[in-house]
Amino acid sequence: MTSSDAPMGVVTIRGGKGSRRWLSVSRAAGLALLLAGVVLVALLSLGVGSLTISLGDVWDGLFHYDKSSYDQTVIRSLRLPRTIIGLAVGGGLAVAGATMQAVTRNPLAEPAILGVSSGASFAIVTAVYFLGLTTPSQYLWFGFAGALGAAMVVLFIASAGRGGPSPVKLALAGVVLSSLLGAWTSALILLDEQTLDVARFWLVGSVAGRGLDTFWVVAPFLVGGAIVCLFLGHQLNVLSLGDETAQALGMRTARIRLLCSILVVLITGAAVSVAGPIGFVGLATPHIVRAIVGPDYRWVLPYSLLVGAIFLTGADVVGRVVAKPSELQTGVVTALVGAPFLIYLARQRALAN
Amino acid sequence: MAVFDYAASPRRPGHITVRSRFVALRVNYRVLLFALIASVLLLLLATYAMTLGSYSIPFSGVVKAVVGQGDPERLTVVRTLRLPRVICAILIGAALAMSGSIFQGLVRNPLVSPDVIGISEGAGLFAVFWIVTGFDLALLPAAAFAGAALTAMAIYVLTWKGGISPNRLILVGIGIGAMLRAGTNYLSVRYPVEQVRPAVVWQMGSIYGSDWGDVKLLTGLLLVIAPIAVALTWQLRALQLGDGVARSLGLPLERARLGLIVSACALAAVAVALAGPIGFVALMVPHIARMLAGPLSGSVMIFTGVLGALFLLGADMIAQHALPVSLPVGVVTGAVGAPYFLFLLYRANVRV
Amino acid sequence: MMTNGQSSRLRSEHVSVAYNDQPVVHDLSLSIPDGTITTILGPNGCGKSTLLKSLARVLRPAGGSVILDGQLIHHLPTREVARRLGLLSQQATAPEGITVEDLVRRGRYPHQSLLQPPTRRDLEAVEKALALTGMTELRNHPVDHLSGGQRQRAWIAMILAQETPLLLLDEPTTFLDIAHQIEVIDLIKRLNAEEGRTIVMVLHDVNEAARASHKIVALKDGRILREGTPAEVLEPSLLAELYGVECDVFPHPEHGYPFCVPRSALPLDGEPPRADDTGIGIRQLRAGYGQVMVLKDISLDLPAGAITAIIGPNACGKSTLLRTCARLLKPVGGKVTLGGQEVHRGSHRAFARRLALLSQGPTAPPGFVVEDLVASGRYPHQGLLRQWRLADEAAVEAALSRCGLEDLRLRDVETLSGGQRQRAWFGMALAQDTPVLLLDEPTTFLDMAAQIGLLDLARALNRREGRTVVMILHDLNLAARYADHLVVMKGGEVAAAGPPAVVLSPDLLRAVFGIEATVIRDPRTGAPLILPNETPEAKPTPAPPMESLELAAV
Repeated sequence: MTSSDAPMGVVTIRGGKGSRRWLSVSRAAGLALLLAGVVLVALLSLGVGSLTISLGDVWDGLFHYDKSSYDQTVIRSLRLPRTIIGLAVGGGLAVAGATMQAVTRNPLAEPAILGVSSGASFAIVTAVYFLGLTTPSQYLWFGFAGALGAAMVVLFIASAGRGGPSPVKLALAGVVLSSLLGAWTSALILLDEQTLDVARFWLVGSVAGRGLDTFWVVAPFLVGGAIVCLFLGHQLNVLSLGDETAQALGMRTARIRLLCSILVVLITGAAVSVAGPIGFVGLATPHIVRAIVGPDYRWVLPYSLLVGAIFLTGADVVGRVVAKPSELQTGVVTALVGAPFLIYLARQRALAN
Repeated sequence: MAVFDYAASPRRPGHITVRSRFVALRVNYRVLLFALIASVLLLLLATYAMTLGSYSIPFSGVVKAVVGQGDPERLTVVRTLRLPRVICAILIGAALAMSGSIFQGLVRNPLVSPDVIGISEGAGLFAVFWIVTGFDLALLPAAAFAGAALTAMAIYVLTWKGGISPNRLILVGIGIGAMLRAGTNYLSVRYPVEQVRPAVVWQMGSIYGSDWGDVKLLTGLLLVIAPIAVALTWQLRALQLGDGVARSLGLPLERARLGLIVSACALAAVAVALAGPIGFVALMVPHIARMLAGPLSGSVMIFTGVLGALFLLGADMIAQHALPVSLPVGVVTGAVGAPYFLFLLYRANVRV
Repeated sequence: MMTNGQSSRLRSEHVSVAYNDQPVVHDLSLSIPDGTITTILGPNGCGKSTLLKSLARVLRPAGGSVILDGQLIHHLPTREVARRLGLLSQQATAPEGITVEDLVRRGRYPHQSLLQPPTRRDLEAVEKALALTGMTELRNHPVDHLSGGQRQRAWIAMILAQETPLLLLDEPTTFLDIAHQIEVIDLIKRLNAEEGRTIVMVLHDVNEAARASHKIVALKDGRILREGTPAEVLEPSLLAELYGVECDVFPHPEHGYPFCVPRSALPLDGEPPRADDTGIGIRQLRAGYGQVMVLKDISLDLPAGAITAIIGPNACGKSTLLRTCARLLKPVGGKVTLGGQEVHRGSHRAFARRLALLSQGPTAPPGFVVEDLVASGRYPHQGLLRQWRLADEAAVEAALSRCGLEDLRLRDVETLSGGQRQRAWFGMALAQDTPVLLLDEPTTFLDMAAQIGLLDLARALNRREGRTVVMILHDLNLAARYADHLVVMKGGEVAAAGPPAVVLSPDLLRAVFGIEATVIRDPRTGAPLILPNETPEAKPTPAPPMESLELAAV
């Protein structure tokens, strides 16, 4: 407790209150900046593509819709749904990823770890095979049900035995169930060329060609779940001190963990059933955000929401631009951009364990 | 002094000490005995596998046909169709299991296998590209092998940072695997569905249509790599104690790791090149072997190989004959393997 | 302080706890007197941490009940318990990058509700906790960048912000060097004296417990052996029963609290055989990790055939020095020689036949039995086809018998107790059959009996076989007792070196560790004994940030 312990710099000694306030202000300013980024990327997403549309037409298409204008029809019927879905799915997946990483205390956790994506894939492929469904709005509910079912199995298996759903058991059960469902999905795909043809476009992950009617169905889960998660920052902060400490602070850790898992399942299930299994948004975004705002989940969660929305919509725009006149699917772009980032992180720090 | 000195180890049940001028080993004979029993089972199962099929042949007929007796029709069916496939299943199963065992020991994490760290994905991307663009299918294994080898190299180079950290290896592998999978996905939607279908079949892993050429290739490679892998378990055991301890025991860390990674990658690459990425064998068989035989050692490595062969041969028989349609073996290994794992987990016996 | 010892807000009645059907705490009834410091003491595996956790409601006992303020603790809401009782867990880990103040604020959790911004009371409690622990100036520092003692203070500040009358601390001083130990214990005593908080803690070190507590509970095999004041509990017959070690107990010459000295390290017969080619010479050594230079130009000789102990405060570079000598770390400048040959040249295997290292906290692969582990020590002597020669077998057998592991040879290493496990790893280093042995903090986590057992073994190896032993020790008294040669380090440099009796003085302790202590001679061994002095008055906390506001205005 000697004074030599303290650093000599004046900066750190400066009134604690003042510097905290400054920090909060700058973080809030960062949020505003990100919000501007979201608007920008949304405008890009509306304007850029195989057909480039001027800003004026984008504006008119949104607010003074003129049915006779081809450009404005493209905006209304194709680009607008795509943009809204991209923003919502990206933001939702990122918030779910941040929550999952806090709950499992594992920086490698992502929403798909609960078997959600493979559950949705399996259910959709089954529906396509047996019922001959062909469009996203038809098989949406199957995807959602499959996601929930798989996650329930994973949670059940991981909760068995002593100590409840430990992070390690959760991860293991998710990985293994995913591969089981993956094997079954493959078998079904092989049996029928028609199924393969529909499924391959869904499995790659994309926000293109989905109508807003599809989106409104799952929006309550996707958006509602993400909003509830935003309020859990304080709980996740305490949970990240370790189970024992959190319990000693009066938290019911098992209950919070279960609540968070359910929210993550709802968000991811909704996102996957609309856009297919899009990887890396949920994994990478929270890492970027933590590098900016530090470990406080009250900030990490809203930042993740915005950065995730920008990341996914941006990836969608990039996918439209690089392979003109065709498109690179969003899921392909996010992996191609996200994976090098993961490798970079792995080389920077001792991430695992 | 006799040429060989055998003695049962006094204080270690199940072990035998063998000493001569150049050799001084203590061998876990109980595990070798397990391996022997498993080999006999394997032989019986292989013979039985050759009796099955639309052209059914009695057990004795198969044995005769293998040694070259019996009517010509039988000889053709057994020697050109069924025998190569059975041998391929055995060798590929052994290669995958040993590869998984080395990776799990090296990374000290029971969840690791060649599929997890991206080697199968590398083979997959190259093979799918080869198939959808319509290159000569005879060279498909070569393309897949090149993909696996290049991926392994890329992972090694990107993991290197003054040394290879096992945790970094997993992360880099997962990242590279995801990128390659994105590439494969892209190819699968970029090309017409008729061209994509065979690529999807290949990606599930199948040993359908193996011929003697494959057998020769596999045997030749395995004869070189498998003994090296068994011998290297000696270093792997020291490595498993942790980097600091291994180094203070005088183990040249990076050299030992390089040797192990190269042999494990070679085993996986050969298997994937010929059969496609068959899931779960590399992940699961090492666990069963350790549960039955104890911690990793040379004899356990041999046992792991035999067990892998047994597992893949059995899975292939189910894939081929259990349903009216014949399935890729990869579908069966996943469907059998995953529930077993979930069961283990349910009993909460898995340590990470 | 002891006068109100009759009332008790927290007590256990017939509590039993079991892990995997293995009973850990049996039918244990205990009252914690209000306003006192109670310490639970006992050998490894006696159930002391388990008891503390069930008192804190973190563990649910299989039988019996814990009662807080007359109510069953498991019937009270978690939050309510957390407002009355704070627990400092041993496994507490701070998230990467979190600042001290953010950590302390999280202690307000039980007083807050969802969405409610911190109230004035929350902020005041945080300020007070920071001031009490002297962390006000470090509030904006990331916890990962603090020293061990500061980090522990930050965690204590967190549970202080919880504003609970009861504080439960699980081994708050493990990992800390003596100066930081004293710092933390002083803080705890001050919290008790000035704020009247009731404190229950689990401690490792008997003498630390004697100095810190009003009441000691001696626990063995999940049962209370005795409870009472330090003077009542700490007497030779009880210590013999508790740890299986014969001890002398005498009062501190100035302050009166009891001080225990185990009877060990008594002189062995015979002169040690000399082994002249095993001396370690260190010349102008500079070494570190990345950009950070830990060792700054060290020159030192570690004598052959002797026991050398290296001591020093946390982060003084002792482990770095040992790792450099063991060739695990390459020096940036200078060199290390072993028997005249340069250490960092030549083959790894040849070097591993001359020098063995017992490192800190190694883990065995799953399924390894003790004999597998000990046999691994033969690696540098083996060839691909010659792994189990007679010499190998003999060396492994010798190592097993010397470490008393014969009965454990087929036991899975993971199932061993801490002390047994450390012995198994020591056996591995012995099987390496090297003339030089380096031991990196071999006694951390071990209880008194296991510490003495291990050090006596190292001493016998030195005296009977002439092996050169170099070890890092945490405990100054053990170092003083067992070493022929003592090296004291501070800030990456050697502060003093020589025979313990010459080196250890109150002045040196003050200069290196910043502690006030009395140094006397152990009547039995003649080795110096260090008795920390009672801090006369708790240091006043740094003044609230009046000056700092002015600084901010500049």
